[in-house]
Order: sequence, then C-alpha cells, then structure tokens
Amino acid sequence: MKIFSKIMLVLIFVFLIAISIIEEVVASGSLQEAMADCLYLEEISEGREDLRTQAIALAVDDLEYHWKNNESSMCFLVNHKNIQEIGLEISKLKVYQKENDLKEFRACLDAVKFYSQSYLHFMGANLHNVL
Amino acid sequence: MLTIILRSIIIYLIVLFVFRIMGKRQLGQMQPFELVLTLIIADLATIPMAEISVPVLHGIVPLFTLVILHFLLTLLTRLSTTLSAVVSGKPVILINPRGIDYKAMKKLSISIDDIFEAMRGLGYFSLEQVEYAIMETNGKISILPKAELAPATNQSVGAQVEKAVIPINIISEGKILKENLALANIDEAFVEKFLKTNIGKAKIKDVLVMTLDDNGAVYLQLKQGQKQIFENVRAA
Repeated sequence: MKIFSKIMLVLIFVFLIAISIIEEVVASGSLQEAMADCLYLEEISEGREDLRTQAIALAVDDLEYHWKNNESSMCFLVNHKNIQEIGLEISKLKVYQKENDLKEFRACLDAVKFYSQSYLHFMGANLHNVL
Repeated sequence: MLTIILRSIIIYLIVLFVFRIMGKRQLGQMQPFELVLTLIIADLATIPMAEISVPVLHGIVPLFTLVILHFLLTLLTRLSTTLSAVVSGKPVILINPRGIDYKAMKKLSISIDDIFEAMRGLGYFSLEQVEYAIMETNGKISILPKAELAPATNQSVGAQVEKAVIPINIISEGKILKENLALANIDEAFVEKFLKTNIGKAKIKDVLVMTLDDNGAVYLQLKQGQKQIFENVRAA
C-alpha cells in the first residue's frame, strides 16, 4: 500500500472518530439543553392561571434562543426534517404564552419535551438504533 | 438549486477521492466484494446530493466507513488464504483434459453457452482446441489451449529479435511533457531544434504527437498533417 493511501486511511479513521464524538456531544447536548429549558418552564408555569409574566416570557425566550443557536450546528449532523418540529413547537409556544392559552401552551411544552426525548433516543448509538 | 450544485460538487470530489485511494481496478477485474462496494458507494452518494434536508456528512461518513472496511478486508484476505477463498472464492476448472466438468458448471450456475462465449472471445471456436478452461474469481474465464494450437512465440520458433523498446511520449496535443523529457534524456531545446530542422515553421503547439524510443526513432504527427517517422535521431 502506498504511503499516500496509508496517511489517507489514518486521516479518514480519525475523521470518523471525531465526527462520532462531535455528534454525540452536539446533538445530545442540544437536546438535553432543550429538555432542561422545558422542565424549567414547566416548573415555573405550573399551577399558574396567567402565563403573561416576565419570568415565563424570559424562559420561553431562553428556550427559543438556545434552540436557534443549537439548531444551526445540529444541521451539519442531523437530518433537518428530524428536528424541525421542535423549532415549530417552540414558535407556537411563544404565541400561546403571549395569548395566555394555557391548554395549548402545555400541549406545546409537552410536544417539545416529547420530540427532544425521542430524538435523544433516536440519535444515540444504542443496540435498538443499530439494529 | 445552488445548494444542490454545491453539494453535487462536494460529493463528486469525495467519491473521486474515495475511488482514487481504493485503486484503479476496472469493473471486469473486480472481486465480488469490490463490485458490491462500488454499487453501494454509487447509491450512497446520490442521497445527500438530491435531498437537501440530509446533511452531506450523512453521505460522507458511510462512504469513509466503507473505505476503511474495504482496506481492512483487503488486508485480512492478503493475510489469510482461507478468508480470501471465503470472500473472493477460488478459481474453478471448468474444462480439463477429460472434458467439461459438469459439476463445476452447475456449482457456478453457468451454461455451456457461457463457456463457448468466453472461448470465442479468446479466439477458440472448438472445444477440441481447449486443454483447460478456468473460471477466475472475478468471473472471467481463462483458456489454456492445447499445446499444438498455442500461438507461436519468437522463443518457440527460435527467431532472433531486437530488444523491445517503449516509445516515450514527448509532445501530446501541443504540450511538451517535461517529466518525459528527463526519461528520454533530452531537453526542450533538443525538441525545438529537431522540429526546426525537420519540420521548418511548425512549433510545439502544432504537434499532435511526438514520441522517441531508445533506438532513436521518432514518430511525429502534426495536428494538420500525416505521420512522419525519423530514424536514429539521437545519432544525428
């Protein structure tokens, strides 16, 4: 085998390992952050009749801001179709918070949690996904 | 559309790179696992090319994984003849001096017509001309003709022949091949002087092809003109 091929093989091998680690860190990190933001939002909105408080508005903004930041880096690694629902539900969440629609707000929050949880499972390297 | 164009360029360059490091075998020379690999690579490359929602990395990562697997398998088959036989198979004798081996034919799922086709392709039209026919691991059939029908060689007829020489390409489609000048042990000035002496006003860019061999024979053809052959050019 030529030295060129050997070097290329080593580089490819390193690239594959690096990309696997980056995917694990970026995808899992982003989804876990979204999950944590949702849980916080759920905690501060629980039992409240009025969603139009500064704390909830800030928490929704944080969720949206974090997700938008993470989504762009995730697009390099994950099929866009798989993660676009989260962005869509966050946009709806923001509207329902402003309109004080409790029922829809909770439904959206649950949807974001559900999608984050599912994709977290879907993207991990486990036996179910491999087989 | 611009995204698709850019993605196509990226994938094309990567596939080119992958095939470059995998070697230069042609379709007919491939082992079964190499053919499968080529088909998978072709299929994998098209997915991120046309589907914008799929990241380019989803095409690149499996491609690179297959390259690594290919090299591992090649390395292992080199180290183990048993594994090589499992992966690539073994050559099988289809015709021997006793005749056609029907069992081998059945095992390989080939017909008499396939054997005749391979024989005709190699210039043998009768089974009587063939001593052995062997199905190689890449699916080609090799023929060993009967000794009395084997093509005569200079050695077999005892002919005295000159040493074979390879002509070195000096000019190709108006461009001088500088690497080959060193091989032929000449320089650009020699080429220009030769053209000036023998062709007159013609320049390097007007030459379609010019070759020079170890015996000093030059084959020259201008883009607008017929071939010319010059002997003992170096001596001159």
